Amino acid sequence: MIELLTRMNWNALVLSIQVTLVATLLLSVLGLALAFIVARYNFPGQAILETLINLPLVLPPTVLGYYLLLLLGREGPFVSFFGVNLLFTWPAAAIASAIMGLPLMFQASRAAIAAIDPAIENAARTLGSSESEVFWRITLPLARRGIIAGLILGSARSLGEFGATLMIAGNIPGRTQTLPLAIYDAVQNREYAGANRMVLVMSVLSLGGLLIVRRLESSFARRG
Amino acid sequence: MTHSEGLHVHFTKRLASITLEMQFSVGREILVLFGPSGAGKTQTLNVISGLSYPDQGSICIDGVQLFQRDDSRTTIDVPARDRRIGYVFQSYALFPHLTALENVGYSIRKRSDREPQSRSLLARMHLEDLADRYPSELSGGQQQRVAIARALAAEPRVLLLDEPFSALDHSIREALHEELCRIQEESQLGVIYVTHNLDDALAVSHRLAVVNDGRVVQIGSWDKVIVQPATREIAGILGLPNVLDARVVEHTSEGTELDWDGVRLKTQRLEAAGGELVSVFVHPGNVRLNGESDSGIRGKYKRRHPGRSAVRIVVELTNGREIELLEPSQPLNFNDIVDITIPRESVQILGRTSPEGAKMPGNT
Repeated sequence: MIELLTRMNWNALVLSIQVTLVATLLLSVLGLALAFIVARYNFPGQAILETLINLPLVLPPTVLGYYLLLLLGREGPFVSFFGVNLLFTWPAAAIASAIMGLPLMFQASRAAIAAIDPAIENAARTLGSSESEVFWRITLPLARRGIIAGLILGSARSLGEFGATLMIAGNIPGRTQTLPLAIYDAVQNREYAGANRMVLVMSVLSLGGLLIVRRLESSFARRG
Repeated sequence: MTHSEGLHVHFTKRLASITLEMQFSVGREILVLFGPSGAGKTQTLNVISGLSYPDQGSICIDGVQLFQRDDSRTTIDVPARDRRIGYVFQSYALFPHLTALENVGYSIRKRSDREPQSRSLLARMHLEDLADRYPSELSGGQQQRVAIARALAAEPRVLLLDEPFSALDHSIREALHEELCRIQEESQLGVIYVTHNLDDALAVSHRLAVVNDGRVVQIGSWDKVIVQPATREIAGILGLPNVLDARVVEHTSEGTELDWDGVRLKTQRLEAAGGELVSVFVHPGNVRLNGESDSGIRGKYKRRHPGRSAVRIVVELTNGREIELLEPSQPLNFNDIVDITIPRESVQILGRTSPEGAKMPGNT
């Protein structure tokens, strides 16, 4: 029995990676689109939109989880619109994680896009580029440092998500129990050996992410 | 130049501070838009290139309509990417993540043409050795050459340059001016060159358009504009010397005589009542120094004045006012007494002056 418990909780690790990958995908598409729109256009309600995106930074995760519960729950608009109930499934955990990571991704990307001299994009337009070509050939490469840094920070935040995930996905071993939840369970049950291993894995993953951010930044720094 | 050839610009655009009302045409020549900052020159380039929208008007190039909007209805609006108008920005706006070669080749669609064409354009701008450098590794002058090569690579129908060399040293500026003139001559391209620096304007312009408060106030060959500014306002924008206020004294059979604070000026016949104050301009090149003769106006040589095209000297007249003329070939000592002549035909009337004598709207 003890032998079994000291072994790594592979289910939780795989699920964590799965949730983080999906959350990162959501983050990159949603965060980049929002960052681009806010950085490049002025529209009514912009301040409200930005505040909403940044809300997870200050709101307790359980409060955010509660809102998501209302949104995704059986009576919520998500079910009535899509006809799918995601509560207590791993995709719900991915959504919660993505929303928690979104402000980090959004902030870094928006700053990077806003820092680009508009004349550079205009030059591309006068040289025959369409708007999408300007985005892919100019805006994205020039903002890449900020975007990649934001993405790694955002996904690291997603990987560590606990409170909101617990609220809407529960803590079902093998189905919705991610590493942070498994660590909590292990500690609750005084299974410190298992907790140690999982804590070690989490720490290595997070440190590795930050190291990659640094490496990327210094390799891009050469070109200024 | 037939009507369809060249670029024809005619539009209005309301801005926060002024309203642009622009109308001019450019053939296969360098037209300089000269005027103070905030006169609307850059905005005009943005409208031509399709980066911003006029309230109404029309932009047409070689018979192709690029923009047409009347009565708040836009009928034609070719997007910037399809206008084929080369634009060299004041900040160069090179792509910092691409090498000089990649910058130039940006607009060349055909992969097999890209490198050879970019290399030959770089060679034309004497940059062949710097092809693999990034913009941050190039000097300002080199960056600007890359920017021009990049604009030319897209085979533009007209080239716009916005204060292109304003941040560069004098010697580099001169070299680039020569290069620009050479390129224009070789390619027979229409070029619009925006500047607020008269030296730059005179160095490159075939025609000079003086812009103030959102409109072209005078357009013509530069020597014509410099010698015959249409109004006092234009003379002021051009920073011309010898703009003075004089009072009409009498009409004679030969013309009109004016009194400039005690100095008599003869002009051609002027429709103005006696006692009326008028603004006049005398180009320094038209003021003659006539040695011993006492037929003219007497003054004292005060100082030299290194000018744009030639050194000028300043003479203080008996009325205490100063007049500038081109430096004579014979040497003069400071405070030498000199006699000068202002020929009747060179006294140009810029308009009537309000009684206070200071500022006045121009009339032509």
